[in-house]
Amino acid sequence: MANRIGVYVCHCGTNIHPRVDSPGVARFAAGLHNVVVARDYKFMCSDPGQQMIIRDIHELGLNRVVVASCSPRLHERTFQNACLRAGLNPFLFQMTCIREHCSWITTDSEEATAKAKHLVAAAVHRVNEHTELYSRVEKVHPDVLVVGAGIAGIQAALDIAKSGHRVHLVERAPSIGGHMAQFDKTFPTLDCAACISTPKMVAVAQEPNINLMTYSEVAAVKGFVGNYQATIRRKPRYVNMDACTGCGLCMEKCPTKVPSEFEEGLGLRKAIYRNSPQSVPNKPVIDAEHCRYLNGKKCQVCAKNCPSEAIDFTQTEQMLGVDIGTIILATGFDTFDPAPLGQYGYGLFDNVLTGLQFERLNNAVGPTGGKIQMKDGRPPESVAIIHCVGSRDVNHYAYCSRVCCMYALKYDHLLKDKLGHHVQAYNFYIDMRCFGKGYEEFYRRVQEEGVHFIRGRPAEVTDVALSPEEKGKLVVVSEDTLLGRTVRVPVDMVVLCTAMTSRHDAAEVARIFGIAQGADRFFLEEHPKLGPVSTTTDGIFLAGTCQGPKDIPDAVSHASGAAAQALALTTRGEVAISPTVSNINPDICIGCKVCIDLCAYSAIEFDERRRVSVVNEAMCKGCGSCAGHCPSGAAQIRHFTERQIFNELEGILAPQPRPAAAKERSGSELESAKLRVIPMAAAVDAPVQTS
Amino acid sequence: MSEFEPTIIAFVCNWCTYTAADLAGTARMIQSPRVRLVRMMCTGMVDPKYVIKALLSGADAVLISGCHPGDCHYINGNYKARRRVKLLSEILTTFGFDPRRLKLTWVGASEGNEFAETVNHLVEEIKALGPSETTAIEAL
Amino acid sequence: MGTTASIRIDSGSPLKTIQGLFGKFLADEEVAGIFVPRHLPARGIVMPSLITDAGQLEAADPIAPSFPLNGARQIARLTRGELDGTLVAVLRPCEIRAFVELVKLNQGSLDNVLLVSVDCYGAFDNQNYRAYLETGGDMRPEQSDDFLRKAATGEIGERTNGLPGFARACMACEFPTAQAADLHIGLFGMDLGEELQLISGTPRGEGILNRLGVSEAAQSDRREQEIKRLTQKRTAYRDAMFEQTKARTDSPAKLAEYLAGCVNCYNCRVACPVCYCKECVFVTDVFDHKPWQFLGWAKQKGVLRMPTDTLFYHLTRMAHMSTACVGCGQCSNACPNDIPVMEIFRLAANRTQTAFGYLAGAEPAEKPPLAVFKDREFPEVTGGLD
Repeated sequence: MANRIGVYVCHCGTNIHPRVDSPGVARFAAGLHNVVVARDYKFMCSDPGQQMIIRDIHELGLNRVVVASCSPRLHERTFQNACLRAGLNPFLFQMTCIREHCSWITTDSEEATAKAKHLVAAAVHRVNEHTELYSRVEKVHPDVLVVGAGIAGIQAALDIAKSGHRVHLVERAPSIGGHMAQFDKTFPTLDCAACISTPKMVAVAQEPNINLMTYSEVAAVKGFVGNYQATIRRKPRYVNMDACTGCGLCMEKCPTKVPSEFEEGLGLRKAIYRNSPQSVPNKPVIDAEHCRYLNGKKCQVCAKNCPSEAIDFTQTEQMLGVDIGTIILATGFDTFDPAPLGQYGYGLFDNVLTGLQFERLNNAVGPTGGKIQMKDGRPPESVAIIHCVGSRDVNHYAYCSRVCCMYALKYDHLLKDKLGHHVQAYNFYIDMRCFGKGYEEFYRRVQEEGVHFIRGRPAEVTDVALSPEEKGKLVVVSEDTLLGRTVRVPVDMVVLCTAMTSRHDAAEVARIFGIAQGADRFFLEEHPKLGPVSTTTDGIFLAGTCQGPKDIPDAVSHASGAAAQALALTTRGEVAISPTVSNINPDICIGCKVCIDLCAYSAIEFDERRRVSVVNEAMCKGCGSCAGHCPSGAAQIRHFTERQIFNELEGILAPQPRPAAAKERSGSELESAKLRVIPMAAAVDAPVQTS
Repeated sequence: MSEFEPTIIAFVCNWCTYTAADLAGTARMIQSPRVRLVRMMCTGMVDPKYVIKALLSGADAVLISGCHPGDCHYINGNYKARRRVKLLSEILTTFGFDPRRLKLTWVGASEGNEFAETVNHLVEEIKALGPSETTAIEAL
Repeated sequence: MGTTASIRIDSGSPLKTIQGLFGKFLADEEVAGIFVPRHLPARGIVMPSLITDAGQLEAADPIAPSFPLNGARQIARLTRGELDGTLVAVLRPCEIRAFVELVKLNQGSLDNVLLVSVDCYGAFDNQNYRAYLETGGDMRPEQSDDFLRKAATGEIGERTNGLPGFARACMACEFPTAQAADLHIGLFGMDLGEELQLISGTPRGEGILNRLGVSEAAQSDRREQEIKRLTQKRTAYRDAMFEQTKARTDSPAKLAEYLAGCVNCYNCRVACPVCYCKECVFVTDVFDHKPWQFLGWAKQKGVLRMPTDTLFYHLTRMAHMSTACVGCGQCSNACPNDIPVMEIFRLAANRTQTAFGYLAGAEPAEKPPLAVFKDREFPEVTGGLD
């Protein structure tokens, strides 16, 4: 029986029509082989638009549907679900993009329309070869893996644990808390970071549903949505966590001192150390790189002094396997290293600090006990805060780091608050961006505190004095773009608001989890607006700054979003796996095994008895490496078969026949006509085969 | 006769170049409408047959565009595509197809600008080159 | 090269001496059978045969200039799966090279086979061979010695003045020996009234050579020199052939003209030893076009040459198999319409194999070029943008 195809050409309001002559395209489509009806309509994705398709499927007995509208990446699901509601297998549908790829790329109406016709012809040709496909249902393992235990990872883990599901929380550092644990006050409310984050950290430690693995990294991930297996590398801590009481005696006695990462190099720590007495877990770790004993020297001072005999130098790296259904990545951010940026004197002048170093200076348990002071111990009389160091800079990172304006304002306030009103604070900014709740109010409050704002990106920070008042000072040289003149501001201290960047090893992490990075190197979300939490790999979600710069409230909401997404899969308990995977026809396969070599997922096995290659559909991701090679055409990707592609090509390349007028019915006629209402079934992505 | 307007087929990866094409459209970047996209899940599924078929059936050029090396959504499909394009270009040039008619590029999901430029460059190049050598052949 | 043994030629007949060697192979306890071309009782027909009875060896003849098929597929068939004992396969170098390609594609195995390569001066194509039979009557084993001497002295070359000559593929074959052979029967450069040589190419070949109890010979470079001479001569012929073929096919239109007589019988693909698919994709339903499609194509230009997809088929076959092409010429041999398929296939294969630094059939451990890839390679493909 010949196919019965319906073609629906959208106007998208005025986005497609009249640049693309949508009614003309519909008239053209009506003349194509097997097309029974072709219509155009203002908004195909709207309810009446979808109802139009559903009605035609019922009344005209359509068994194939083509929609020409926006990108299928936007609305393919919408129309597939409409087909499904009308009882048509959603894979008997084809969508083609005449908006992003036609009407929006040219001002030439004729060309845009011609291209639209070709694309519609391609879709019609292709849909002729579509077959019904059915999703496979797999159980979802109820456990969740959360990678990274900064505030985002902690939030996600706690949300999931609260629901009663088990979480494996993996943190690379010896203790949890991430960057937030380094901060002192938080904008705009000025509540202390520790006051709000330590209770959460403790909750993690006490939550029975959270399996916390610190000083550990995910080494490998296998499997697919609902059924992942992760291998976790647990580094040796050389401290027996069960025996250790966290008394801290070992740290007092350890003779080795090294710069502290947690203090951003402003303070020293021992070779056996913890970040702070508030650390979770509150037990130290031995840094193998610097420990004397582990580097072949006699020492073991920690072991000798430990009252509970918790030091264990026999510990080795362990590989642990966990089964999980979903994964949340909350691996956080790095900060831009301003040292290579020579003009601001970082690393050259003692009192040029990064924002994070300034945070530590303010922190009550920081290297100065919370006193803002210069290297020589004196309090600064004047401080310059340079915004956008590395960010909003085409030479480094084009994006805005989103948090710097606000924490700069916080620093302004803290300077005035802690050191007195006489202290001068100068902000060198490009634009003040105070977009969050209560942020603009905070900006106003700080302005009223008598802080200086100079609009301009400084050219340099120098210690070369040109006048007596500059002597012994750091001079910030900048253009004040509002006054249109160069200014020289002598200060005691300079704080650089460095860019938030993706983690230095983000590419490696992306590879392990099989996700993508954007041009900014942060992990790429599924959709910038409508899918900011999910990734293009099903079952893997993003939380916090690994997706892009965020402040704390945004990171926390993002994390809760990720937890909700993971829980949606977990609580449903099963997941429909796309049927668009590879299939090797055993009657055609000759068993050359080349596809097995080419498969990046080890999803193809060799059946020795039949001497053919067989796809493990659970492992196959449908990339088509096998199909792209297989000379016999035995391996083909469902929904991307050779016949389908050849037909698509034929449609694109065929000279266009004269438009036929007869079969087209305009959508406007439909609008006035009374619609037969078809009961809506619950929206499902794809039908599931029941047998 | 009016100016030659080439017809170009582009096999593009759903995850990167197709998305970039969407982005280029959304950003209203003016592009030649002569490039028609065939959405693939990965450049690694582009069978050499598709390229040959397109070139024999009236395409004046074929563009294959996928994720940058190291960024493939399917780990390494783009590397396989690169070998296949190398193979095809050797065979096709042996028989007088101009090598410029087969192009492989890497355009990431966020590179709408890059996509528009690639399209416009290619169309200009093929315009200068003229219609496909196969246009006049009756038996293909 | 491995160990060399000198074999005295009995009663002036290299063929008889070789048959004697085969007898010794068969007597070896590991050897279960020998695969070798053999004269059939039917007039002049020489076909590969599987011999287990030494009494059948007197018709065995790996020298006869008949080359009705490339035996690689047959050996592949015989080594696919368990085999009790070792099989000795006596093959032309191009057959061994094709077999190595098939092994890489999991179509056969090197495990239980001893590959014996006979130094190859070349063979007649089917047409020439038939002509030869028709003018000279039967082809019998004893005539092979005469052929061998004429081939060695250069009396037989390209077909001239109606006299049969070597197939063009053989004239252009720059590999008169097979690198992957376990054992070589050395004829090149020998005084064929006196001696021939057995040269081991692998440890396995070395093993059987030791067991045969043949006398080791002093290394002589006569054979090497002859190989060098032949290789040079054939390479020059090949390059001239490439130039002629290029001139005839340097545009798609010319290629279409070259292939105008093709009837899509796919005999070239059937005869091709490395075209290993069960069924060519061109005969699967992928190409089972609908009647209305044909009509649509006809409408585009007002005319449609049928059968369709001819150029498409040949170019695709090159994409699939040119990296594995060993240049045996069986494609041309099989064409019912005398299209010189070998010439265009080799032309493309030369390009693709050079591009990937690959030599079909040379090294069993090397993966086919399209089965592997690297992170960074072929920067020219993307204009150096990696």
